[in-house]
Amino acid sequence: MILLPRGNPVKEGIDPGKVNLPEALVKLQKGHFTGYLRFDTTQGTGIIIFDNGRLISGLFETAREKLIAYDAIFTVFERSLAGNASLDIYRLSSALAMSIHALLHGNVLFLGQEVQLLDIRGLLGKLKEDKISGCLRIYTKEHIALIFYRAGHPLGFFHDGSTDIEKNAENSLSVAKLPGAKIDVLTAEVSEEDNLADLMASADLTQMWAKAKQTVALERKSKENEVSRSLELREKERRQKVVVLFKGIAEKSLGKIGAQLAEKEFEKALAGQGLVSEAVLNDFYQRLGKAARLVAGPSTVKRMVDEMQRGIKTLLKTA
Amino acid sequence: MDWSIVQLILWLIAGIVSFYFSLGSARVWTSIAVGFGLTLIGELLLYARPFLPAPDIPQFEAMGFIVETISILVMSHGFQEYYVFSRTLEAEGSKLMVYLSTIGVIAGSLVFILINPTPEFDNLRLIEVVSLTNWVFLSLINIDLIRKIYSNVKDSPIGKGFLAFMLVFIFMFLWKGSELYIRVYDLDILASQFPFRYNLSVAVSNIANILASLSVGGTFLSLARLLR
Repeated sequence: MILLPRGNPVKEGIDPGKVNLPEALVKLQKGHFTGYLRFDTTQGTGIIIFDNGRLISGLFETAREKLIAYDAIFTVFERSLAGNASLDIYRLSSALAMSIHALLHGNVLFLGQEVQLLDIRGLLGKLKEDKISGCLRIYTKEHIALIFYRAGHPLGFFHDGSTDIEKNAENSLSVAKLPGAKIDVLTAEVSEEDNLADLMASADLTQMWAKAKQTVALERKSKENEVSRSLELREKERRQKVVVLFKGIAEKSLGKIGAQLAEKEFEKALAGQGLVSEAVLNDFYQRLGKAARLVAGPSTVKRMVDEMQRGIKTLLKTA
Repeated sequence: MDWSIVQLILWLIAGIVSFYFSLGSARVWTSIAVGFGLTLIGELLLYARPFLPAPDIPQFEAMGFIVETISILVMSHGFQEYYVFSRTLEAEGSKLMVYLSTIGVIAGSLVFILINPTPEFDNLRLIEVVSLTNWVFLSLINIDLIRKIYSNVKDSPIGKGFLAFMLVFIFMFLWKGSELYIRVYDLDILASQFPFRYNLSVAVSNIANILASLSVGGTFLSLARLLR
């Protein structure tokens, strides 16, 4: 989970699977957009950062790995197409976009420290002493605020709704006062002043999108096959249970030949049907009734079929 | 003692029971029941002649032997069908086909008898020996076949019925076997020379005939009860 303040929302809660993302990104490029796109998917969170129409950063983080640049963009495409994803777009200032990029690609120094248990004064002193560039991320379940530092000195604040690095600490510090607030200390490896390359200029996003489509289609097919295999297996087990039930009752009523008749007539009734349906069962009762008349009288056959019908009701309720 | 009337009455009962059984039961029983029912017709043709308007027509006697031959063939065919069913669980054909085929074979035999010269004593004797030979050997084969059927269906409701059929064919073997013995050695003609052999054979034939008719009637009644 990537914790970032929401910035100034452009659009929230879009289903990225229903959007042609390469086209949307081109639109953002042409519109000289600055800000970030957040993709929350079932497998992780993706962030794409734009600075003045240039796609400067891509990140996709899962519980196990952290993908960057093209890999991240491809995974964002892939997971968006896979469904159950949500896209939020936030506008930021250029400086803030760069800071966010630096932050996302930096390292974690401390993670999830309880604000109330922490010696903030001591921590700030340490940042100053070690001349750390990066940020303090203060967050609760609902709110997030960032305090950027450069060489141990505070640069400014970023909280939900702001578009630029603010000098007013009030909003950001108010998060720290909330119950259960936690703090992460993050260091930035990349300097904000770096002139970052436009990833869109060096990659064919349309091709990437098509490949992602293919991958998702394959994934879907494989999932469908798996589901179908699992259904098939379950139906096979169900069928076996039904056969065992029928054979048992038939053997009790007609002896060994009854069990053989039940198995054979069930196979015949099921031939080409696949599923144990009402029609298959009725056909089976009819067939078995006819065949059983060769070794037993109508009353015995009726008793047997009645018992089978009762048994199958109970079995199908539990199966 | 003349056993003919008793035998006839018992076969009449057995025949009616088996025919009646064939009407209400599954297809595979039809050949068996029709075969036993035909035994009645054969017996009627042979032993009811004295009570018929023209008792000395040899064609009647010839038809009696032929119908008896057809009866053992039809019932053997029925047991074969049941054996196949007990092994493969498949039963084919229709009741109507069994009835029509049997009537067809009987009608064909009648035509055969009518278009040929009137059978003399030797012809009738030969036809009778052919009939008895069929009975004797098919009875033995049927005993073995029924044993195999029984082992396949012994724990089914009908199982015990096949044990009864084995008994039926043992009686039939003794009945027809003793008759065949008499005919092959002309013991009926040479009775005065071999009185013991002849009398013993006649006694075995009569007793086995009665037991066969009783067991046939009893078996079909018991089957009707088992297949209720």
